[in-house]
Amino acid sequence: MDGIDILVVGAGPAGLAAGLRAKQAATQAGRDVSVVVLDKAPAAGNHALSGAAFEAACLDDLVPGWREMRTPFVTGLVPVERDDMFFLRAKAANRIPPMVVPSRMHHAGDVIISISRLVSFLAEQAEAAGVEVYHGYSARTLIVENGAVKGVRLGDVGLAHDGSPKGNHIDSEEIRAGITILADGTRGVISTQFAEHFGGGSVSRVYSLGMKAIVQFPEASPFGTNRVMHTLGYPMRPDVFGGGFLYAMGEKTVAVGLILGLDWKYGDLNPQREFETFRAHPFISRLLKGGVTVATGAKTIPEGGYNAIGALSAPGGMVVGDGAGLVNMEKIKGIHYAIKSGMAAADTALEALRSDGSVGALDGYRQRLEGNGVLEDLRHARNYRQVFKYGLFVGTPLSLVSSMIPANLGIHRDGAATRKGARLNRPDPGRMDGATFVALTGTLHREDEPSHIEITDPSRCITCEADYANACTHFCPGQVYRWSGSEVVLSPSNCLHCMTCTVKCPADVIRWAAPEGGEGPRYKQL
Amino acid sequence: MHCIVLVKQVPDVSNIPEDAWDREKGTLRRALLDSILNPLDLHALSFARRITAGDPTAKTVYLTMGPPQAREVLADCISRAPGDAVLLTDRVMGGADTVATAYSLAQAVRRIERDLLGGSRDYLIVTGMQSVDGDTAQVPPQLAEDLGIDQVCYAQDVHTEPELTFRRIGAQGTEDVVPLRFPALVTVTACTDTLYRSFHAARAARSATIHTWSAADVDAAPDRCGIKGSRTTVYRIFSPSEDRAKTCEMMSDPAELVRKVKAKYRLATGGPAVHEEGAYALDGREPTHRGGFWILAEREGDGIKSVSLELIGKAHELAAFLGEHVAAVLPGADAGDLAAELIAYGADTVYAIEHPQLAQFSPLPYRAAIAPLVREHKPQVMLFGATPMGRELAPRIAYACDSGLTADCTKLEIGDYAKGGQSLVGILKQTRPALGGNIMATIMTKDSPTQMATVRPGVFKVPPRDPAHTGDVVRITPDLGDSAAGVRVTSVESFVSKVSIRDAKIIVAGGHGIRNKSDFDGLLQPLADGLEAALGDDAKVAASRHAVEDGYTTHDYQVGQTGQTVAPKLYVAVGISGAVQHVSGMQMSDTVVAINKDPRARIFNYADFGVVGDLETVVPQLVRATKEA
Repeated sequence: MDGIDILVVGAGPAGLAAGLRAKQAATQAGRDVSVVVLDKAPAAGNHALSGAAFEAACLDDLVPGWREMRTPFVTGLVPVERDDMFFLRAKAANRIPPMVVPSRMHHAGDVIISISRLVSFLAEQAEAAGVEVYHGYSARTLIVENGAVKGVRLGDVGLAHDGSPKGNHIDSEEIRAGITILADGTRGVISTQFAEHFGGGSVSRVYSLGMKAIVQFPEASPFGTNRVMHTLGYPMRPDVFGGGFLYAMGEKTVAVGLILGLDWKYGDLNPQREFETFRAHPFISRLLKGGVTVATGAKTIPEGGYNAIGALSAPGGMVVGDGAGLVNMEKIKGIHYAIKSGMAAADTALEALRSDGSVGALDGYRQRLEGNGVLEDLRHARNYRQVFKYGLFVGTPLSLVSSMIPANLGIHRDGAATRKGARLNRPDPGRMDGATFVALTGTLHREDEPSHIEITDPSRCITCEADYANACTHFCPGQVYRWSGSEVVLSPSNCLHCMTCTVKCPADVIRWAAPEGGEGPRYKQL
Repeated sequence: MHCIVLVKQVPDVSNIPEDAWDREKGTLRRALLDSILNPLDLHALSFARRITAGDPTAKTVYLTMGPPQAREVLADCISRAPGDAVLLTDRVMGGADTVATAYSLAQAVRRIERDLLGGSRDYLIVTGMQSVDGDTAQVPPQLAEDLGIDQVCYAQDVHTEPELTFRRIGAQGTEDVVPLRFPALVTVTACTDTLYRSFHAARAARSATIHTWSAADVDAAPDRCGIKGSRTTVYRIFSPSEDRAKTCEMMSDPAELVRKVKAKYRLATGGPAVHEEGAYALDGREPTHRGGFWILAEREGDGIKSVSLELIGKAHELAAFLGEHVAAVLPGADAGDLAAELIAYGADTVYAIEHPQLAQFSPLPYRAAIAPLVREHKPQVMLFGATPMGRELAPRIAYACDSGLTADCTKLEIGDYAKGGQSLVGILKQTRPALGGNIMATIMTKDSPTQMATVRPGVFKVPPRDPAHTGDVVRITPDLGDSAAGVRVTSVESFVSKVSIRDAKIIVAGGHGIRNKSDFDGLLQPLADGLEAALGDDAKVAASRHAVEDGYTTHDYQVGQTGQTVAPKLYVAVGISGAVQHVSGMQMSDTVVAINKDPRARIFNYADFGVVGDLETVVPQLVRATKEA
C-alpha cells in the first residue's frame, strides 16, 4: 500500500477545496501526489449545514466552467435579487432601511446555496480529479511526534456499550501522511487538539448555534424567490446576540433559521424552542404559511474572529476553514474563506513536498492567506462580534465602527457567561416538538455503542440544577441530555454533532469524542 | 468450502429526501436517493467470513448484478473482508424482475464456478434473505431452482464444527440444517455483528480487480434477461395512505374503556387494511386467460393453516367473476380428511398429492411434487400463503413453471388493461408494498402460463364453512425421483414458545412516564395478563427507547424507529409521550389506547382511546376492569 502525501481530515468545503486543488496542481505539474480526504459523515454533505448566501467567485478558480455544469448544485442556485433586514418586536416587524445597513452586510451578487449540495458537488469533482475521498471514518486523535504532525488515529469500531470489543471490532487504525490538512470544522476534534499542541488565539473562541429548517410549499411560497431576509430583535432579548434569516431556495422551498450567540446568560434557554418562537411570530409565519418542514439541522459557528485564530500551521500540518476560525461575523460568512484557505493550504503543501520525500516548512500558508484577502477581511471584522457582549443597544452602534477600535476586545468563554439563577422562562409555543426536530435531521447512531459523550464530573450537575437549571438539558438541540431527578441521563444516539455542549456547559465537564464513522445527521439539502 | 456472496446495491429507503418524491406521478426519483449495500447482504458477508475462516484455501467471491455504478458495493465488500469481485453489468439486463435476475445470476455463477473456483463444486452461495427495495425474497430460491441446488433459507446462525450446520426457524420451528450436497444456497437474516470497513482495506480495494462481465461473457440469452426476460411488470406505483393521525376518544371510566376496546377488538382483522373490492363484470367479453384458480393448501398440525382457507375464499370470489373453478393442492404424506375440509371451505377440486417424502416440508421434494402438476394443468392463477413454506416454495414453483410471481400482496383484483395495441381482459392485478413500505406497486404478470402470487396471512377473511358443498378429490402419488431433500434437518425446538413482540396481538408498552423499574414491572405485566384473559390473545410487554435507556427493560422489547416495528390488534401506550420516533414503530396498530398524565401528550394524536391521569392510579383500575369484563 502506497503512503499518503497529503491527508485532509474533513470533507467540507475547505477540505475538498484543498484536496481538489492539490490534485489538480499536481497533475498539471506532472507530479504523482497521493491525496486522501477523510470524513466521519455517512455520505458527502451529510454533516454540512449553513444558510447560505455565498460569494461564488471563489469556485471559478477551483472548478473552471462550473457554472455551465448540469448538476443539482448548479441548477439549484438562486441569485439574490432582493435583500431585506427587519427588526422584530413581539407582534410587529419594522424594515431597517438599506442605507443604515453596513455595505459589508449587503448580499447583492451572492447566490443562495445549500452547503450540503455544494459539498456533494465538490466531492464529485474531487473524485473525478483523482482525489481519494472516504466517508464514514472518524478521526479521534492527532498524531504529533517530535513537535511535528504525522497524521491521525481513527477511533475503535465494534465496541460494546461497556467498551469491550465485539466480534467485529477493528482496532483504531493509524493513518500517516507527509502533510496533514485539518479541515474538521467548527470545534473539530482534531483541530482543537492542534490548537492545544501549537497554540490558540489571544482571545477566547466563542460560538453561535444556528438552527435551521427547510420548508416546502405545494405552490409558490409567500416569501417569494431570489430573496434573502435577515432579522434582529424578537425573540431574543437585547442581551442575547443573534438573528434570524429566511433564504429562498427556490420557488417552492424556503430555508428558515435562527442564530444565537452561545454566550447567553439564561440557564433554561432552549434554542429549538427559541427557533419555534421565532417561526411563530406573525410576520414570519405569514411568510411561511402553507409550508411543511421537511428537514432540520443545527450546527455551531465559530465567531471569535481574527484574534481568536491560533497557530495556522506547524511542521507537517495546517488548519483550514471553520476549524481555523476563518468566519467573518460582519458578513456572517465563512464558506468562501473556507474554500480559499483550502486552496492556499494545497498550494503550500505542494511547494513543501520535496521530490526526496521530505517535507519543508509550511509558513507560506499564512502569507497566502494574506495575499488572497482572507486575513485582511477578518482583521476588519476582528472586534465585530465582541462588541455585542455589551448587549444589542450598545453593541449595534459600536459594531459600525468596530474595525476602528484600536484594542483587541476579549470576550468570556461561552459556558462561563451563564449566570446563576438567570431564567428566560420561555413559554412553549406549541409548535414542532424537540423529538420531531431531531427526527427530521435523520441522525442515527448504533445504540449499543459506547457513549461518545462523557460527563467528567457528575457531582457538578447537582448544583447545576438550582444554579443553571441543568443547562445541558435545555441547550442541546438534539435532546441528548435529560435530568432524571438525581443525574443527567444521556441519549447519545440523538446527537447532531453540533458541538454546542463542548462550549456551553457552565462547569465545562462535557467531553465530546467522534462516534463511529458513518453516523450522525444526514443533511441532504441543508 | 468456498463462498459466493450475492450482494445488491439498493436505494437508502431510510433517508428519503422530500424532493425525491414525485407526488403527481406517485413515484420516487431513485437517482436522488443515496445508494447503499443492501443491509441483509452485510450479514451474508459475516456468515461467509465465518464459513471460510480457518481454511486458507477457501475463496470468497462477491457477485452483484447492476448498472456500472454497482461496482461501489463490491469495493465496499472488499473493504470489510477480502475476496474476488464480479460485476455483472449489461444494458440488456436492465429492468429485470426476479425471474430474469435469477437467470442472469445463475449464468454468472456457472462461470465463477468454472473460472474462479477452478471447477470446484464445493461452494455455498450466501446472500441476505431479501433486499430493501424489492423485498420479495424471491431471487435466492429462483437462483437455486435454475442451478438445481438445495436451499437453506432464513439462517440465523452457522457452525462449521463438527460439520457445517445452519440454525434457522423453519415452518415447524427452530431447526438445525446440515447441507449434504453442494453447491447449496443459504439466505441469512439480520443475525450477526456486521463487519466494519477498515480504512486501509478500503484504500486497497481501489486497486482491486473487479471482473466485469456482460451478458455475452456469461452466455446469458438476451431474451431471458432484463425487461424481455421478466414475467411480471409494474403497472402502477402510488403512495400508501399517509399520516395515520386518529381522533382520540377521551375516557374516564375504566370499565367503559375496556368494553369499548373489547368491541372494537372483535372487529379488527389484525392485518393490513382489508380493501373494499369492487365487483368485476365480464359482460360477455372473452377473457385473456382460461383455467382454474388454484391455491396451495398448507397443513398445521392435524388441520389446515388459516391462510390457506383465506386464499380459498379469495380465489372463489375472483374465479366467480370469470366463471372459473377453484382447486386446492394439498401435499403431504397422507391427505386423510383434509381434502373434505378444503371442499367444505369452497374448493371445487382437491389435488391430494401423497408421498412419504412429503411428510415434512422441504423445498426440493415439494417442488418436484407440485410443479409438474401445475405445468400440466396450467391454471390461470395460483395463490400461496406468504408463510415460511410459501416464501421458500412459491418462487421455485414459479420459476419451474416459467411464471411470474408477486410476493406479499395486500390486494388482489380482476381487471382489464389497455395500452397501445395491447388489450387484456380479466387479468389478475396484484398490489403490494415496496421500497420498505414507502410505496405501493400494482403488478401484472406477463408471458406466463400462470399468474402467481403470495399473500400474507390475515389479509383476507376465512370464508364460511359449508359441509354441503361438493367437490372432487384427485389423489396423486408423484414420482419424486432423486429429488430427495439434500439436507439433514434436526428439530431443535418444535414450537416457538417465546412470542416476540412483533408477533403479539396485544402489546402493553411503557415509557418515560413510568417512574422506576419496579413500577414498570408492577404495572404493565398485570395489565398485559388482564387483557390477554379478556380478549383471548397473547399479550406482551414492550417499551419506548427512554424506558430502555432508563434500564427498565432490554432493547429486545423496544418499539420505535431504532427498535422494532409492530402492528398488533391492540397497543396500549402507558406513560409514552408519542415522539415521532416511537410512533413510527407502532402507528399501524389497529387500536391504540394511550394513558398519560399530560393531556397535551402527542401520543393522543395517534390513539383511538385516551385516559389522562396518574399511571399508578389508572393502570390498576384498568386491570380490575379487565377481570370483570
